Amino acid sequence: MAEEKNRKVKIAEKILDKNDLMAAVNRELLSAKGIFSINLISSPGAGKTTILEYMAGYFGPRMAVIEGDIQTRRDAERVERAGCPAVQIETGGACHLDALAVKKALESIDLDAENLDLLAIENVGNLICPSGYDLGENMKIGLLSVPEGDDKVMKYPSLFSTVDVFLINKIDLAPYLDFDVDRAIEECRNMNPDVTVFTLSAKTGEGMDDFCIFLESNFH
Amino acid sequence: MHEMTLAQDMIRIIERTLGGKVRLERVNVTIGPLAGISGESLRFCFTEIARLEDFGEPELTINYTKARLLCLDCREEYSSDDLFHCCPRCGSIRKRVLSGREFTVDSVELEEGEEPDG
Ligand SMILES: Nc1nc2c(ncn2[C@@H]2O[C@H](COP(=O)(O)OP(=O)(O)O)[C@@H](O)[C@H]2O)c(=O)[nH]1
Ligand SMILES: [Mg+2]
Ligand SMILES: [Zn+2]
Repeated sequence: MAEEKNRKVKIAEKILDKNDLMAAVNRELLSAKGIFSINLISSPGAGKTTILEYMAGYFGPRMAVIEGDIQTRRDAERVERAGCPAVQIETGGACHLDALAVKKALESIDLDAENLDLLAIENVGNLICPSGYDLGENMKIGLLSVPEGDDKVMKYPSLFSTVDVFLINKIDLAPYLDFDVDRAIEECRNMNPDVTVFTLSAKTGEGMDDFCIFLESNFH
Repeated sequence: MHEMTLAQDMIRIIERTLGGKVRLERVNVTIGPLAGISGESLRFCFTEIARLEDFGEPELTINYTKARLLCLDCREEYSSDDLFHCCPRCGSIRKRVLSGREFTVDSVELEEGEEPDG
């Protein structure tokens, strides 16, 4: 019996402990530099990069961007063309960013640049995997676009129950599709009562300035 | 999916705790319903990685917990597997999530004759 017992070894460790520790390091570094940070999560094609392009026009060099993609530098190039510095992380297959990848990317950003107020991180397009990984951001943003359907809020509760901000993008397409905006917002609030919601169109610019002003109100 | 990465993280945690590679009979983990992890997929990945990395052929035993929820209308605390359920006391769907995202390695059981290195 005693031998049986000895063969069991207690561990009791959170599997993402290492990530969480690294995230805390990122958070501290950014906060010491007076930089507010956001983590933008959605499925592929919901409009993350288009939103960041608009924001690059609004904030200019006050914003820096980290782009997470499985492959290619394309999104970083789009954001750079739109007017702000961007670093690409190519995850080479991984379906999410982790805090270590962000820490490395931070080394290629001039965090001491005068006016730098905002770091925006575009996560890899995926509604499940990124939701458990703290990157060290101040604000986690979940984005859903109108063509995806309003039912996705309840289908991806591990994301939408944790986000600080819920964005509904491509609102310009609402007249042509059956996405029920009120229902999506209500279902998100039902499990995440403190969430802040914006409906917008990165394409037409509708609602975008309100969102940018809201972000600005969080700067240090 | 990220279960492969998580299985690798698990192996590193186990290796560090045991001080080296040890043949395992069983690994006990806890997964919350909001952790965003597929238990079956994790089982597949973990078994494969354990075998490849010389940790024997451990069985992965998963303790699926429930989420703790707080009803925003009557303040009742209750447990549920998902967020679709309404408050058992007043029927309201409005809730705050108190827990449900846990993902831990709880313990391992070694094969007979094996001993931790550390
Ligand atoms: N109609 C419409 N299309 C949009 C909007 N935002 C983005 N798109 C389009 O959706 C596609 C995917 O956008 P992208 O920003 O690359 O998505 P990402 O994968 O989330 O970064 C592109 O063709 C965009 O032009 C929007 O608000 N309205
Ligand atoms: Mg993109
Ligand atoms: Zn109730």
